[in-house]
Amino acid sequence: MTTEAGGLEAPAAWEPKIVAFICNWCTYTGADLAGTSRMKYPPNVRVIKIPCTGRFDPLFMLKAFERGADGVLVSGCHPGDCHYTAGNYNARRKFTVWRKLLDFAGIDLDRVWFSWISAAEGGKWVETVRNFTETIRAKGPFREYGEMIDVR
Amino acid sequence: MPYLKMDSADLPKVARKLAASGARLVLPVREGDERFYREGADPDSLDLTTIPKNSIKEFLFPKTEKILRYQYRGKDVTVEDVPPAAAGRTVIFGARPCDAASLPVVEPLWNWDYKDEFFNARRGATVVVTYACRTAPDEACFCVSVGLGPSSDQGSDVLLFPLDETVVAVRFVTAAGRELESAFAEFGKGEVAEEALEAFRKTGEASLAHRKKFDRVQGWLEAHFEDRLWEEKAFRCVGCGTCTFLCPTCHCFDIQDESCFDVGYRLKNWDACQFSLFTLHTSGHNPRDTQPKRYRQRIYHKYAIYPQKFGKILCTGCGRCVAHCPVNLSLYDVVATAQERAERGD
Amino acid sequence: MSDRTAGIRAIAGKWLQDGTVEAVLGWEQGTYRDKTAPVLVRKAEEVDRLVFNERCTNNLMTYLKRDPVRSLNTVGIVAKGCDIKALIGLIQESQVPREKVKILAVTCPGVRNADGKRPVKCAACDVNTPVFYDEIVGEKIASNPDRAARFRDVEALEAMTPEERHRFWREQFDKCIRCYACRQACPLCICSRCIAEKNQPQWIETSAHPRGNFAWNLIRAYHLAGRCIECEACETACPADIPLMLLNRYMAKVVEQSFGYEAGKDPQTQPPLRTFKLDDDNSFIL
Repeated sequence: MTTEAGGLEAPAAWEPKIVAFICNWCTYTGADLAGTSRMKYPPNVRVIKIPCTGRFDPLFMLKAFERGADGVLVSGCHPGDCHYTAGNYNARRKFTVWRKLLDFAGIDLDRVWFSWISAAEGGKWVETVRNFTETIRAKGPFREYGEMIDVR
Repeated sequence: MPYLKMDSADLPKVARKLAASGARLVLPVREGDERFYREGADPDSLDLTTIPKNSIKEFLFPKTEKILRYQYRGKDVTVEDVPPAAAGRTVIFGARPCDAASLPVVEPLWNWDYKDEFFNARRGATVVVTYACRTAPDEACFCVSVGLGPSSDQGSDVLLFPLDETVVAVRFVTAAGRELESAFAEFGKGEVAEEALEAFRKTGEASLAHRKKFDRVQGWLEAHFEDRLWEEKAFRCVGCGTCTFLCPTCHCFDIQDESCFDVGYRLKNWDACQFSLFTLHTSGHNPRDTQPKRYRQRIYHKYAIYPQKFGKILCTGCGRCVAHCPVNLSLYDVVATAQERAERGD
Repeated sequence: MSDRTAGIRAIAGKWLQDGTVEAVLGWEQGTYRDKTAPVLVRKAEEVDRLVFNERCTNNLMTYLKRDPVRSLNTVGIVAKGCDIKALIGLIQESQVPREKVKILAVTCPGVRNADGKRPVKCAACDVNTPVFYDEIVGEKIASNPDRAARFRDVEALEAMTPEERHRFWREQFDKCIRCYACRQACPLCICSRCIAEKNQPQWIETSAHPRGNFAWNLIRAYHLAGRCIECEACETACPADIPLMLLNRYMAKVVEQSFGYEAGKDPQTQPPLRTFKLDDDNSFIL
């Protein structure tokens, strides 16, 4: 079901919707490890695989919020571990600037998380998703962005 | 016909009465160093000192507007009309004559082959109370060049004449205007004779006596599509579109679909001929591939194509494109050059 | 005629005469109030059109990205210290070869906006006497920059709560009519096809509704982070009077604090978002 704004409708029992942009080499493999190890984590996260955190573009985050995401997680290889040597170092600078800009525009930074999770850290993936989901659950749905079009 | 006389200090009170009657009130207010027409502003903030930076067109033709809604259900798609937004009865209070005059100029366009119900619904619900100009409010003004003037009643339902700093004469021009008479009546302080208005008109026109009449521009343009003028004048155009977006008569729009999952809207958004994308074909070919060509198009549309089609110049001489162009590319200068060259047979 | 105007004409004339440049880009007297207007002088006989005064506010470097200036092999550009910062950015990013442009620098005591006020950039100016040029005219002027002036308005906004800031920007961005004058006037918005014009997919909604406006204005500021040289051309051009420099200056502040970098200083350095340090801030990443 969708609202007039086109965003997903908040059903009677609202559940947080989290979009995770994660790198192919580390975090995705870490999440895979969590799965093959049969670890349980909240189904609220929608994973979108990107080749590297260096590929992350702030537009991805805006598009996710536009389509009704309540939180966005970006995760990749630890510093020093990038498959492409320095993609994550470059990404880190972009994150720094973009995150500050969101804050300046009054977007709640608790809805925007960044993490480094390696292929071996299935447990950290589970813990991060769990903590993020609970944080978002406590905050409630993120209407300020996605539904801006109908507020007017 | 006698004119109602009132104190200009009472104008905000009239505006307040009109708003209290349930109408959507639009009036010029001060923001920073500029004036802007704004909807729902406090009538006491009415500021008539100079010509606002935006035109009144956004209240009849919004910068973005939903025109239909579609929804996918499985393999089916349903399409529903979105009725014209119920903006309701609107009073534009304190419009300038050049803004009011833009309405009769663009009406034929919106009712040419296809009747644009969105514009027409708003137009039908809008009453314009115009504040005539005692003298040209800005150096950029050139309404007299296009056959209008600082006291022109084109498009106005009520016309206010600020005879001096404190006294305003009120003329009810149309039947829709006369319906507002009761809001003005209680502030009446007698009547003003026709002669005072004649003097007012003359002062206004005298303040623009230095402006050329653009009576030979159309003919000149028709013969000078390829001319050095365009490159010479328009090299400096940065293609920002400010001129078109502030223009009361520019009316180009783009149709966009915006959807999310299974629901979407078709929207009608302002567009501008000054953008390279405006004419870019899917093939990659762009018939207006340089900025001077795009600038020429704007002049042609206003002074040749529109007059050919509808018998009216698509310009009211408000001067916004002159005053607010970031690179001082003045439409008046360009068209006046065309007029001069026509006069000397160049 | 001021000394600076005379100096500019003399050098422009010499360059055009001896073929150093094909044309000189400068300012001429405009036709509306005291405005000046960009002019491209191609013949030595026409250098008398060139002027310099307090109303030479346009940053002419924006013409380097568009014809006819783009297709010239050599061009002389009359420029204030602040304008030259934009050229430094373009050289850094390999957009303009250094040897194409002959910089006719002019010392500048500060310009005035249409309202008669000195812009913030002039209060904070550290290049009243330009340092990167081919020729320079005008008496040397020592800079006495009020660097804090740059961030005064930014700090007022930072002091608000996120909700207040969101409300503030909602109100400002509501005014946006998506004309993209900010982008067109900007000397550093160099993409031949802007992200706002890419529609497969439509990353930024083109409609001038609050959400589309939010996305556009944030992305514009982000794309200029570490690149904007604070010439204020965007804000001056904005027909809706949105305080765009607040965003740009905030980004400049973040870049200075986080990476110790200031745009428009040195053509040899890398822009901050094109490089990194191993010990960049990692504190916000889990």
